[in-house]
Amino acid sequence: MSFLPLAHALVARQDLPVPAWLFAWGASIVLIVSFFALAAGWRKPRFEQLHWRPLAAGLSRSLLSTPMQALCGLVGVFLFGVAVYAGLHGTEAPDRNLALTFFFVTCWLGFPVVSAILGDVFRPFNPWRAVGRLAGSGFRAIAGERSAHLTYPERLGRWPAAIGLLAVVWLETIYGGSGGVAVGLDPHAAAEAALVYSGYTLAMMALFGVEEWCERGEVFSVYFGMFSRLGYFGVSDGRLGRRRPLAAAGRWATIPGSAAVVIASIASTSFDGAQEGAFKDAIETVTEWVAELGASSLTTARLTDTIFMLLCFAGVGLVYLLGVRGMRTVRNAPPLATLRDGFAHTLIPIALAYLVAHYFSLFVFQEQAQFTYLLSDPLGTASTDLFGTASSGIDFKVLSSTAIWYVQVAALVGGHVLGLTLAHDRALAYWPNYRQATRSQYWMLAVMVTFTCFGLYLLSVSNA
Amino acid sequence: MSNVKKIALSLAAAALVLGLAACGGNGGSNETTTTARTPESAQEGGKGAKEKVPTIVVRNDEPVDGIERLEYNAGETIRFKVESDKAEEVHLHGYDVMKDIPAGGSVTFDLPAEIEGIFEAELEGVGVQIAEIRVNP
Repeated sequence: MSFLPLAHALVARQDLPVPAWLFAWGASIVLIVSFFALAAGWRKPRFEQLHWRPLAAGLSRSLLSTPMQALCGLVGVFLFGVAVYAGLHGTEAPDRNLALTFFFVTCWLGFPVVSAILGDVFRPFNPWRAVGRLAGSGFRAIAGERSAHLTYPERLGRWPAAIGLLAVVWLETIYGGSGGVAVGLDPHAAAEAALVYSGYTLAMMALFGVEEWCERGEVFSVYFGMFSRLGYFGVSDGRLGRRRPLAAAGRWATIPGSAAVVIASIASTSFDGAQEGAFKDAIETVTEWVAELGASSLTTARLTDTIFMLLCFAGVGLVYLLGVRGMRTVRNAPPLATLRDGFAHTLIPIALAYLVAHYFSLFVFQEQAQFTYLLSDPLGTASTDLFGTASSGIDFKVLSSTAIWYVQVAALVGGHVLGLTLAHDRALAYWPNYRQATRSQYWMLAVMVTFTCFGLYLLSVSNA
Repeated sequence: MSNVKKIALSLAAAALVLGLAACGGNGGSNETTTTARTPESAQEGGKGAKEKVPTIVVRNDEPVDGIERLEYNAGETIRFKVESDKAEEVHLHGYDVMKDIPAGGSVTFDLPAEIEGIFEAELEGVGVQIAEIRVNP
């Protein structure tokens, strides 16, 4: 898309494509592991129970106490405010302004990974939830009763979050007009988008209730919350505790539209990885068709990219639904809707693997900026040097290309193994006997192998 | 029956993977249509070496021959020249080297290829990319 006036790329170093030999090894390991995973004697479900062990009552009480929650909420609102202020009043150079790196790298990429290990760490820091709860208690104090809410339409489920997730990625990779691993958006637009989203979110919270909207519609709560179901810590009945990792994931998709959220996640990462590589030629062809309709070059590029992003969503969804249909053909299968929702959580590790594989190097490079010059000079105007690190730069030599390749392939293979494990476990719970459960899993095996090899393929195609 | 099915399935999957691997391989080899390679720069010639330095000509804030693609192996020397009709500042990202060109003049980049990856060189003032530097491990 060289006809676009590109802003500075957020990151100055792009990854080299994974070489063909490593691609072939990764894919072969996936197949071998899959084969043995199914053949192994895993005959009883192990993730259907949470294996809940509460933490010491005192520790739990102090961590979940009202002052602690207020403090975390305050931190969240403060950081959000700083980033929005930097976006509105700081430099327009994307790489020198705190806003883009903070929103799209530190939070958008950091929370999924941390949540997948520790549990839902975003929830206490969620700025909109904090403001919403404060407003709720204010209302109670004045009116003397709880605020009344509309009943959330149950069938809508998590669809608003799935659409919101696509919208965030659309804003990040399409609206700004730049592609690849870079965020093309300018900081001012990002801050304005954050303010618009805040207004929308607070309105929805007022209509349907804070917790209800966080569970179903608030994009970031739903998205980070999805990954947090893989994590070690959780809250149950007002008490903090440990659980078997991965076990909480099995209860995540009970709300309609959950499958759409995880599919949107995989699809948007695929789109971002493919737009400058695997899809480049196809995108150029379609761009020419659209250009003939007479739109401006920027509109044409946005329209074409949007079409491809939606195609990615449809494609990933189709592969999953084919797998589900296949499982339905195995005798004693539960109804289609049960299968569709019952296996959605098995894609969460794949979504995480895609994220790590595509953005690991960007995260490592850009976090150096986050904790050095962006921290000391958030506006990028060289007017402040809060921590004396304003003149530091990014050391691009911390990661060799081979290190990046190994992390990418390991993430995809690892995500594949976890997804397969969850799917096998769920099948054991759904089918009355081991043989039928295993047979149903040939279908999920095909789905997972497709996703993993597709992910590896995207990484092996040059992104330039 | 399950054994037969297992074998059939793994064969089908293996075929899929091999097919994809072949695609990946092709993609890689198609991609090496670089316009300029600089094998000479592998042997450090010192000041007396008369090697051809790739030159990017900029007219009216645009590279005349499009974005120049240069490829090096780590440890070699990145060497290219930029000529411009206007005064410009050229920024090689990643390596973070900035050089000024006077109007109608030229500037030569000459630095060791020590960071692997794909990097942009651009006209800093107008934000136009003029070269893509690729450093293989």
